[in-house]
Amino acid sequence: MHVDHAVNRRIFLQQAGAVTLLTGLLFYKPCVAKKFIDHSSNTVDMVFSATEKKVIKAVQMQLFPADNDGPSAVDINALGYLAFALTDPKNIEDGDPAYIREGLTWLEKIAFKIGSKPFLMLSTQQQFQVIEKLSESEKGDNWISLLVYYLLEALLLDPVYGGNTNGVGWAWLGHQAGFPRPTREKNYRYYLSQT
Amino acid sequence: MINKIKTFDICIVGSGAGAGPVAFELSKAGYSVGILEKGGWYKEKDFFKDEQFPRHDIFQSKQTEECHVLEEPKKDGGSSYTTAQFWGGNIVGGASNFMSGYFHRLKPDDFRLVSVFGKIKGANTIDWPIGYDDLEPYYTKVERVVGVSGRVVQHPHLEPRSHPDYPFPPTAEHPIAARFDQACKEMGLHPLPMARGILSKPFNGRKGCEYSGYCGSYGCRSGAKASSRAALLNQAITTGNCTIIPYAKAYRINSNQRGNATSVDYYNSKAQSVKVRARIIVVACYSIESARLLLNSIGEKHPNGIGNNNQQVGKNLHCCSGGTGHGVFEFDQFSRKEVQGFKRVGPFFNRALQDWYVINDKKVFKRPVKGGTIDFVFDPPTPMADANGLKRENGKVLWGTALKQRLKSHFTQSKDFKFEVFCDWLTTDDCYVRLDHKEKDKWGTPVARVKVGYHPHDKKVSQYIVNQGQRVMKVMGAQKVWGNAWSEPTPNLVAGGLRFGNDPKTSALDADCRVHGTDNLFVSDGSFMPNGGSVTPTFTIYANAFRVADKIKAQLGSVG
Repeated sequence: MHVDHAVNRRIFLQQAGAVTLLTGLLFYKPCVAKKFIDHSSNTVDMVFSATEKKVIKAVQMQLFPADNDGPSAVDINALGYLAFALTDPKNIEDGDPAYIREGLTWLEKIAFKIGSKPFLMLSTQQQFQVIEKLSESEKGDNWISLLVYYLLEALLLDPVYGGNTNGVGWAWLGHQAGFPRPTREKNYRYYLSQT
Repeated sequence: MINKIKTFDICIVGSGAGAGPVAFELSKAGYSVGILEKGGWYKEKDFFKDEQFPRHDIFQSKQTEECHVLEEPKKDGGSSYTTAQFWGGNIVGGASNFMSGYFHRLKPDDFRLVSVFGKIKGANTIDWPIGYDDLEPYYTKVERVVGVSGRVVQHPHLEPRSHPDYPFPPTAEHPIAARFDQACKEMGLHPLPMARGILSKPFNGRKGCEYSGYCGSYGCRSGAKASSRAALLNQAITTGNCTIIPYAKAYRINSNQRGNATSVDYYNSKAQSVKVRARIIVVACYSIESARLLLNSIGEKHPNGIGNNNQQVGKNLHCCSGGTGHGVFEFDQFSRKEVQGFKRVGPFFNRALQDWYVINDKKVFKRPVKGGTIDFVFDPPTPMADANGLKRENGKVLWGTALKQRLKSHFTQSKDFKFEVFCDWLTTDDCYVRLDHKEKDKWGTPVARVKVGYHPHDKKVSQYIVNQGQRVMKVMGAQKVWGNAWSEPTPNLVAGGLRFGNDPKTSALDADCRVHGTDNLFVSDGSFMPNGGSVTPTFTIYANAFRVADKIKAQLGSVG
């Protein structure tokens, strides 16, 4: 079988900016955890500040809305999944946590230009306009692309990783999962810790 | 510092398709066999059908620890360099754990490309030092011992067989296979059921296929897939004569004053150097790495690397030329029953065409040329990667309802079927392995630098056959059809680099796959192949490795 080069983690442009680690991630040690997946609300709070998680949740709902056709970002637990994904050492090494935080500052600048208020205080329609404006620049397009990447992971990866709640993403797109599926004890993070 | 010394009759470096038959045969014959495997020893219970597994370097070498330097020719005549990886599997059983198991035999003409089709300017092709008849009994052995399922049908290019059919019946077929057969018959073509290295029923402690729908690129939970580990090494272990040493990174083969191999040095998981002594040493690390190991093994009689006195080690590497194509079937164009058939998950497409195994078309080629094979297959499921590939339109990222609708349309309103074309990659002076002068692996050993030049003839042949595949998709009823030929290397189909032959000036191994200039060093992976044969190579690697095992047994004589 020819292997397409597309089984790579990344097919978006590299982000700019310094790599910084979010406080708390430094203390995450998956190799000593009994279960290699922790979806407690503590993970979201560990990765994001109170404001950050509200803003990201609102952005995710614009990117993957409740539009009466398929699950929304909330339905697939996109925020919880994103927090989990950002504890992956490879994602940290790639600078994703810092890049997402940087993009939030661009978002807020446009929010003030459009509505003279923080993003969270804008109407849903204004929030849409902010994201639309952000997408017009290359850096904004890249940032949205990264968030969409994680949304798609939340939509289609195994629910054991925190998204795709009860397989709602698979059901919507008619995808039949393979078997056996990973478990909270045995999943890709467990096997990575063994290598 | 050398810490320990182990001794075996035979030491095998690697544990994939080239290693399994040797370990199996020599263990059964009563010899002590030691296998050095760089990766871990995982078993069926460790394989999950989860897209995250192939996306992370779990069962592959980590590029940060060990890489290849890839040298690709540019149109202006220069080269571009990048780090790459051509790893199939860093695990007991190697890449055979993750193959799709499309098993085609080579045909008699593949052993005699020069004699049959003539020389091509700029290509280094040679005829094999053995013929199809020498390998046929071993193909039969692989079918019986490793387990190959399928159904033989007569067609113009069917190779001779000593047994009329495969020992295992075909695996279950997807409804698309019937549509394919009908289209081919309308076109006057010969649809072929594709043989698979997958058990259709239980055998030797392995279960039959469970049709999870996640086959190629994924490890097999049932043991049905004919990995070297499940089919052969597990049996070798039960003899009590075979020892597998995981996390053993072989870095040098030592040789004596006569030029014969004496031992292999490897690093264990604690980075301690350990020596293994053996009467016979067999290298089966996958083409690039096998050549790399030999080049890194300098000795008194082998100042350029063991077996490299004629500068043939690493030369005449080949990837697999070919291409891919797709046919999209939009559900609103078909009946409800047909759509239900398209959506079926589990059974296989299992079809191939070899009507263009020889191309005799004067409109395109002045004389008959060796063509290739088209396999009609399913892509291994990677829904998240597929979705990510849909998120851009006109260069901009889609989001919101537009993104959702695009996903829904792709996944629920059509089905994409694929074909893969396999053609020979002509060996040239521009495709070879050498050691990189700067880059080293984490153990301090020079890594392989791989130059992957191709011959323009390959792309012409590939495009011709890709065009045929697209014609078939249209007659099958696809609404959108596309295809492209390529000449980039694919990591899982590399062979050659240590080709066998009777002339040491143009080959690295003799006809028994013994390294020229030694009496006791063999190579049994795909490195031996002078050409790929325009099919996936694993079946041939298995067969030849069984042949090499017989040669080793004959050389060693009886035990004791």
